[in-house]
Amino acid sequence: MLLACGVLAALIAGCGGGEKSKTPAKKVNLGIIQIVEHDALDAARRGFLDLLAEKGYKEGENLIVDYKNAQGDTSVLQTIADEFVREKKDLILAIATPSAQAIAAKTQDIPILITAVTDPVAAKLVQSKEKPGTNVTGTTDMNPIKEQLQLIKDCVPTVKKVGVIYNSSEVNSQVQVDICKKVAPELGLEIVEAPITSMNEVMQGAQSLVGKVDAVYVPTDNTVVAAISSVVQVCEKNKMPLFAGEANTVEKGAIGTYGIDYYKLGRQTGEMALRVLGGEKPQDMPIESQKELTLTLNAGAAQRMGVILPEEIKGKASKIIP
Amino acid sequence: MPFDVVRGVLEQGLLWAPMVLGVYVTFRVLNYADLTVDGSFTLGAAIAARLIFAGGDPWLGTLLALAAGGVAGAVTGLLHTHLKIPALLSGILTMIALYSVNLRIMGRANLSLLRAETIFTDAARWLTPGIAALLLSFAFVVVVLVMLYAFLQTELGMAVRATGDNEQMIRSLGVNTGTMKVIGLSLGNALCALSGALVGQFQKFADIQMGIGMIIIGLASVIIGEVLCGAPTVWRALLAVVVGSIIYRAVVSLVLSLGLAPTDLKLLTAAIVTLALAFPVLRRHFGWRTLARGGSAAGIERRG
Amino acid sequence: MAGEPWRGVVALLELNGVVKVFNRGNVNEKVALDGVSLNLVPGEVVTIIGSNGAGKSTLLNVIAGVYEIDAGTIKIEGREVQREPEHVRSGYIGRVFQDPALGTAASMTIEENLAMACRRGKPRGLRRGITREERELFRRRLSLLGLGLEGRLTTKVGLLSGGQRQALTVLMATISSPKLLLLDEHTAALDPKTAVTVLALTERVIRENNLTTLMVTHNMEQALKIGTRTIMMHEGRIILDISGAERKHVTVGDLLKMFEQVSGNTFNTDRVLLTRSF
Repeated sequence: MLLACGVLAALIAGCGGGEKSKTPAKKVNLGIIQIVEHDALDAARRGFLDLLAEKGYKEGENLIVDYKNAQGDTSVLQTIADEFVREKKDLILAIATPSAQAIAAKTQDIPILITAVTDPVAAKLVQSKEKPGTNVTGTTDMNPIKEQLQLIKDCVPTVKKVGVIYNSSEVNSQVQVDICKKVAPELGLEIVEAPITSMNEVMQGAQSLVGKVDAVYVPTDNTVVAAISSVVQVCEKNKMPLFAGEANTVEKGAIGTYGIDYYKLGRQTGEMALRVLGGEKPQDMPIESQKELTLTLNAGAAQRMGVILPEEIKGKASKIIP
Repeated sequence: MPFDVVRGVLEQGLLWAPMVLGVYVTFRVLNYADLTVDGSFTLGAAIAARLIFAGGDPWLGTLLALAAGGVAGAVTGLLHTHLKIPALLSGILTMIALYSVNLRIMGRANLSLLRAETIFTDAARWLTPGIAALLLSFAFVVVVLVMLYAFLQTELGMAVRATGDNEQMIRSLGVNTGTMKVIGLSLGNALCALSGALVGQFQKFADIQMGIGMIIIGLASVIIGEVLCGAPTVWRALLAVVVGSIIYRAVVSLVLSLGLAPTDLKLLTAAIVTLALAFPVLRRHFGWRTLARGGSAAGIERRG
Repeated sequence: MAGEPWRGVVALLELNGVVKVFNRGNVNEKVALDGVSLNLVPGEVVTIIGSNGAGKSTLLNVIAGVYEIDAGTIKIEGREVQREPEHVRSGYIGRVFQDPALGTAASMTIEENLAMACRRGKPRGLRRGITREERELFRRRLSLLGLGLEGRLTTKVGLLSGGQRQALTVLMATISSPKLLLLDEHTAALDPKTAVTVLALTERVIRENNLTTLMVTHNMEQALKIGTRTIMMHEGRIILDISGAERKHVTVGDLLKMFEQVSGNTFNTDRVLLTRSF
């Protein structure tokens, strides 16, 4: 409570130079732009709003939330971005790379917080991770891929070949697969690629790995994650241990991951939003990665895929799904 | 291992077969390039998944999917015949509208059916485990084939076929061709939605995007089947379509098991469809003789 | 001219002041039918001649309901039908087009085509599309054509020659005994020998079924030989209507002379002048 008061005070102080500073009940106009409905993206948004709420920004009271979802249509993103700029939002949360790019192209003034963006430098959103130099800052969801592959080794000590199912037309996935191939030799692993191009090929992609690999890894790939149930089904049937690049996928039936919890990532982005509302400049706020990786395990999935989880690993887990 | 691969290909091919038969009905029988299928396929999966998700009976869900697909096709037909919207555009309009409808039905973009009761888990109880899914999908295809064939031999079915072949002729015999188009589109999309419901339950998820590109997959399968099997009679043509569906899945499986990116498969698919559609023109240019396509090839020349 | 035959009988077909204008209000505006009135008594077989663009085909098309008319009435057996859509009128009007490909469905078999023709004007349901009795009927009817089609019931129509298809179309147009038969230069696209066969077939079915018929032809000889009455059209109007005794003594030369007299033009279809009798 004390903290909340402090933040509010800081906010008022931060706006001190502005002409509207005399009205302490000024509502914050927040615009949220999101490319598509997706469990991870939705979780990030919830985390962000939950944190704000806990810190005293209650929706409908002193916070007006304008949440716009483009339903996968990038042209709609443009429209949303225009609208946000026209309505002079105080703050914008952009979820995932296309949304961030759309809004960043429209305004250099309104502070933009990004989340679930894998590589903000490559997306030309910031000049560098350490010092953005633009009105954009926030959190990246770049996967701790090396740790994730290490997790496979820890759980399945005999593993040699790891199959990776990914959509070859998603840049984000290609980047992750390249990292996989780079770090795999260091861990004594060999990567077997199973590229697909549509979610209807995912099941056949999984079937094509049967008998060829000792474990399967699914990166944060929108297409494969959408069809994850079919991968889980094939892996369970053929006792192929399945590991994932995100906790959501573990909840849906993969054995485990070290990773980004999008809800927590959203909260972390929320913390950054508070700093911006307090007067800090996004230009000087480094892009943050998730502070503590969370280990999520799915005991039921492990059992169905014939994996006995070592006690030591279980001890590290922040969440074990039965 | 090889048996697994064969079984996988057959399962997939048979599950997609109703969709391909649906495309055959609209594209070949009715001679109507219907883009509704992208939406109605997802519609079928969405309805079945939502009902199952809510604890409903998967068989009922499958049946409802079939009916809803029929309605979607009828909407396209009515847009075209009553509001005089061009054929291609009518299909696109319904397809776009279905995106919102499907999202409403599912309540979100993706529904997982993992460990949910589906018609396949149900069938596994009373059929040989291991091949239960294969047997069930085979049974579905047989039923669809027989019923579709029987329909195409009825007075109504023949009028639908004639509408696709020669609209002026069948109108001059006292048939309302607009009604026939609505019936044909309804039938084709009902089959697509059925396929969507089957595939959704088999792959254990429904996703708002899962229908994208269905029309091209359908066309490619139809054409592959026709080229390989020929289509001298209605029955042979229907069988060829099912074979085409299986072959298409076999190619996908082959590409995947070679570790190749199916990226190029799309180009190949587009090339197959282009070649087949351009076939009459090419033949005229180069003076090729008819392949084993019998009446179909003659049908293409009906303008001459 | 020929005004007498239908007195006291309800006309089967009655056109009153029918007007059809294409591209109205446009530089391409064309008056295709300019107040056409015409009566046909039941069983009457009328041939229509005229130069290109005279409105012969348009006349058949407005009767069949392909085009809506701009003014006038069309009655069949005393009932106004000009508002009925084409497919409804097709329930009692049989048609044969010039292009043999237009009258049949190429990808369907001979028996399927005939079966569809048998159901002219009847609601189509989920009953079997062809019955066994119908197959027998088709075989009998086809054998009368003398083209050997009776043994090829399951052959796709697309594999038949133009003449065979046109013969089939004539059979299809008449198999359900329509009230009115419309023939639009239906032998024009055939080679002379086939044309003779198809024409003979046409005459026979018209006679056997006592069908009221309107037949457009470009062949004046044929126009005078077939049927009981001949009308000549020019620029959307009927300029000549002869029947009975008057018609019996008319020659092609007379017709041409009459045409020039009435229209003030020379007949502008080379094809007509070049056509020899068969």
